[in-house]
Amino acid sequence: MLSLYRIIKFSFQDIARNAWLSIVTVTILLLALFSINTLVTVRLISDSAIGAVKEKINISLFLKPETPESEIMALKAKLASSDKVRDVVYISRQNALEDFRKKYENNQEVLAALKELGRNPLSPSLTIIPKNFDESSLLINELRVLDNPIIESRDFSDNTVILNKINSITKRVNEVGLFIIAIFILTSLLVVYNSIRVAIYTHRQEIEIMRLVGASNAFIYMPYLVSALVYSLVSILIVIAVFYPLLSLLQPYLEVFFTGYSVNILSYFVDNFFAVFGVQFLIILLVNCLASLFAVRRYAKV
Amino acid sequence: MINLRNVSKTYINRVKVLKGVDLSVKPGEFVSIVGQSGAGKTTLVRLLIGEERADEGQVMVGDWDITRISRREVPYLRRQIGVIFQDFKLLPKKTLEENVSFALQVSGGSPQKIKKVVPSVLKIVGLDDKKKRYPNEVSGGEQQRAAIARALVHQPKILLADEPTGNLDAINANEIIDLLLRINKFGTTVILVTHNKEIVNRLGKRVVTMEQGRIISDQEHGKYLL
Repeated sequence: MLSLYRIIKFSFQDIARNAWLSIVTVTILLLALFSINTLVTVRLISDSAIGAVKEKINISLFLKPETPESEIMALKAKLASSDKVRDVVYISRQNALEDFRKKYENNQEVLAALKELGRNPLSPSLTIIPKNFDESSLLINELRVLDNPIIESRDFSDNTVILNKINSITKRVNEVGLFIIAIFILTSLLVVYNSIRVAIYTHRQEIEIMRLVGASNAFIYMPYLVSALVYSLVSILIVIAVFYPLLSLLQPYLEVFFTGYSVNILSYFVDNFFAVFGVQFLIILLVNCLASLFAVRRYAKV
Repeated sequence: MINLRNVSKTYINRVKVLKGVDLSVKPGEFVSIVGQSGAGKTTLVRLLIGEERADEGQVMVGDWDITRISRREVPYLRRQIGVIFQDFKLLPKKTLEENVSFALQVSGGSPQKIKKVVPSVLKIVGLDDKKKRYPNEVSGGEQQRAAIARALVHQPKILLADEPTGNLDAINANEIIDLLLRINKFGTTVILVTHNKEIVNRLGKRVVTMEQGRIISDQEHGKYLL
């Protein structure tokens, strides 16, 4: 306990005596952490965008209103047996009408027009959900040539081109982001290594005397590991303090952009606080401790 | 207390600094090791404190076989051996008292022990009235006395003094030697490495003379031969 207190005291003396070096170290760590979190945010936004576009994929076959239920079920079974299809949802005329009313419950003009018609103008339909969204264009091609007399019309709003674009942008962002993160982590490693090296140089006389009078090796290198812990902790706390207000600023713009879809990156970071920042803290701590250990082993000869 | 058997040491640049050295020191002895620069005296001290490893032979300090000592054991060995050097090796930003207590702090000494031991060793070396001064505020002799006080905090069985009077004038040098003699009288084995002829001749104690990595003379009540 006493030794721990002295180790922490020596560590804080180190940080204070090399204040500028400590600031540079923390700044580099901040840049690394900031780039990681920016990448996480970009990834979240692109995932939300992909989800939103996927939701818009609508492959539907509208059937003739007088088609008997048995024929519809036969077509449903035939479609469901395809290896490209995950599910086929049958929407009867009645269900379609209920959905329509629900959708326009706040639009009295539409509802009044429907009432004036005096009958259900909607057709029964089969909504086909593809097994793999990337293969939806192949499925659409098959459905285009499907010949069945009960089919009245077909609705294929194909969004695969947009999906492919988003996917390729996300892939590119990930590649560039990972490259930037790798550079920052490598830079952090070198900066921490050099910070500890300079700290050891500043304390070379003290270290020499420590060794001479029988200080244990752990007592000599532990203050530098504590410094690494302090650098990591301060960096992650600053990132948290800066990142949350930034996300709060960004969130309203995202809500406007993704109107009608649930995109909340702020709540994602709040809900996954320990998973996101805890893992980042552990990684940055590991990098710092490794750099410190290498520097201490080499320059303090312990 | 100390036994060296056929010890040799060669540095990376192939300079053989010790060549088959045999030396035995009994508990409580006062031994002066003399020789010109490059004779191997300092290497001998470095071997005894575990700073260097012998290439051949065996170095025993008490029950410790220094030739086989692990890195983890070195700090414990150094608490058994007090060392002082020509350049004092005091921390300039700490007072004399803080310099002495630093040795106990870094080796895990309790505050109670520090409070008890530090004033007593400062008293032994005659610095109890200057304990709040910084190294640059006292004379060279007083700085060396502070270094001796620091070496004594672990109550070592052996005190190694590597050229302790090298930076001192004759009066201060004699005071330091008197202090070492007093410490030796308490039962501590003292090994004095020096090339100060007057001091060695005045002591009238055992003198080991080294030349080119070899012991060329070992006299019970010796004189400086070179």
